[in-house]
Amino acid sequence: MNKTIIININGTVFHIEEQAYELLKEYMTDVKRHFFNSADSLEITTDIENRIAEMFTEILAREARQAIIDQDVTAVIEQMGSVKDFESAEQETAGGFNEPNFTMGAGATTRRLFRDPEDHLIGGVCAGIANYFDIKAVWVRLFFAVSFLFAGTGAMVYIILWIIVPKALTRADKMAMKGEPLDLQGFKRNFEAEMSTVGGHLNNLRNEARPLAFQTRDFISDFFHHLTTFFGSAGKILIKLLGIAIILACIGGSIAIVVFLFATMVFGGNHFSVPDSFFNYTYINQVRVAFALLAIIPLTMLGIVISSAVFNTTSINRSAGYTLLIIWISSLGVLLYHASRVAAEFRDSAGFTQTINLKPTANQVYYLELNETRYLTHEDSTRLDVKARFNNMVLTDDDDNDDLEPNSMRLNIEKSDVPYPVLIEEFTSRGSDYEEALSNARNTRYIFAQQDSVLKFDYKLRRLDHNMWHGEEVKLTLRIPLKATIMVNDKINRYINNSMNLWDCSPNPENRNNRTYSPFVMTKEGLQCKLDSAVIAAQEQPTQSNNVPDTVIMIQGKRSTQTAPDTIYIDSTEAPAPERKPVVIRKYRKKQ
Amino acid sequence: MLVENTQTQMRKGILEYCILCVIAKGEIYASDIIAELKKAQLLVVEGTLYPLLTRLKNNGLLSYNWVESTSGPPRKYYVLSPEGQEVLKHLDKTWQELYFAVQTSIEGRK
Repeated sequence: MNKTIIININGTVFHIEEQAYELLKEYMTDVKRHFFNSADSLEITTDIENRIAEMFTEILAREARQAIIDQDVTAVIEQMGSVKDFESAEQETAGGFNEPNFTMGAGATTRRLFRDPEDHLIGGVCAGIANYFDIKAVWVRLFFAVSFLFAGTGAMVYIILWIIVPKALTRADKMAMKGEPLDLQGFKRNFEAEMSTVGGHLNNLRNEARPLAFQTRDFISDFFHHLTTFFGSAGKILIKLLGIAIILACIGGSIAIVVFLFATMVFGGNHFSVPDSFFNYTYINQVRVAFALLAIIPLTMLGIVISSAVFNTTSINRSAGYTLLIIWISSLGVLLYHASRVAAEFRDSAGFTQTINLKPTANQVYYLELNETRYLTHEDSTRLDVKARFNNMVLTDDDDNDDLEPNSMRLNIEKSDVPYPVLIEEFTSRGSDYEEALSNARNTRYIFAQQDSVLKFDYKLRRLDHNMWHGEEVKLTLRIPLKATIMVNDKINRYINNSMNLWDCSPNPENRNNRTYSPFVMTKEGLQCKLDSAVIAAQEQPTQSNNVPDTVIMIQGKRSTQTAPDTIYIDSTEAPAPERKPVVIRKYRKKQ
Repeated sequence: MLVENTQTQMRKGILEYCILCVIAKGEIYASDIIAELKKAQLLVVEGTLYPLLTRLKNNGLLSYNWVESTSGPPRKYYVLSPEGQEVLKHLDKTWQELYFAVQTSIEGRK
């Protein structure tokens, strides 16, 4: 049982099933739209409707039925032909006796909006609009030039029109563009047709396969074309070269990204001023791949679009484009996921402090020295075969770059209120919660050693395991007694927060290098250059060593500052320490 | 592309000439014109005929009479106007010339 509708085709009444009605309505809408631009659209569509009515009558009589069903409609449409059939037939007949659509018919002629390729400065939009409204193009151009002053509105509108409005390519297009002077009767029809044309283009934008890539390619192609005519033939070569340059830049960028990622895999992140422990993140390879895709896909697409515009090659097909888009979005998702995971590990912070009482020297002079020694793990030293190949040699880090890493130590020098120097080590870290943060902070080791008057500061904080870095930091505060002298050179000064001008305080300014010491003395006002006369005078008063306890090492928690678990380290003794020792390799046994 | 273009050019004039020929046989209804053209394998679907007829009519080559029909609405029966007959005579002559030209050109070709 089906619902039927009663329709009236030019005076004849039919019962038609709902589904069949929808089909017929759709077909007639198409037909009417197709003949819309023709001056005789009413007559043609009426003829077609009449013929359809007649065919329905015949069918009903032949099959002795009362209602039209959808098979009937399909059969009729087949006989009458679809809009596509009309189109192909019209291609054949166009230009037969006359230009059929435009010169025919007495009053109503259609004028349509096209970009004028014959009279253009940039894209021919202004000339097209001028043709449409039958005014001089210069006024439209002036309007756009003025509107450009209002935050570039004109430019935006111009570009949108450039994309949407088709170029007048054929003779028919150009005739339609210029048209005859509008009369009142034709105006309404023109306007409606125009709206449907523009609507059609907007629809195309939405519905066409790979619409955006397509439009972009056309647009860029157009852009290059007009730039080309703008600059003449020399410009043409320049434009192509520019296009090639951009393509090469895209390829270069992609290669650079891949090389960069490989480099971080092979050498670790150290060379790129990223905390190297970040690369110990469990899913770092996922992050690498996602990052590479995220960066390379747009570069590739840009390269393809430009090359298709410059060389008129075909763009990539739709499914490949969508696949790339999906991969790109997934990469973005993966990166965001890992970023949020990493961020979650930085939620809370914790820290602790420990104090080391240093052994005072008789003359209260302390050499601050940067320990550049490369500390190796047991595995690393086995791998590098340190004993056999680097025996009696010092392995140092190549530490010439001026950038301090996030895990570099920072040293503050203050006045001590006890008669012996004190080193306060403050460890902080972040973690997903307080406990985690504290455990991260504990999981680090800072190597500090005193060799009589030489205080050796390791340049960075080290982690005991290969876990990810969580912003672990060490802040050192060296408290030295009043009138005590510290000898500072350029190497360690980079890590010291106090501002000291080593150059002005150099005993031998002509001959200094970054290992030359400058003496500073602790006064009531803070550190001062010992070479200043006033300071010297104060220093000449006899100082006397106080009775202080031997090395007191206060250890909090399970930390030890004296030994390093399971490491070989090769000790540098370049400092002018009182006893100059030969270079030795010392091995610290694992102590659990 | 080139082939299609040439085919289009060839069919263009012939279709209209044939329609005029068919109508010249006497007063005729659109669907009968279609039947004739289908027989001649020139047209396949009816819908494409109506714009052509309208155009020929507007050019003054055709006129039509309304005839009551037993099955459905009144029908348009097309007939050649005197002007159309004049044009057809010219076209006949042209066709003879074309036919001769083509025959001469392809003569002796395998």
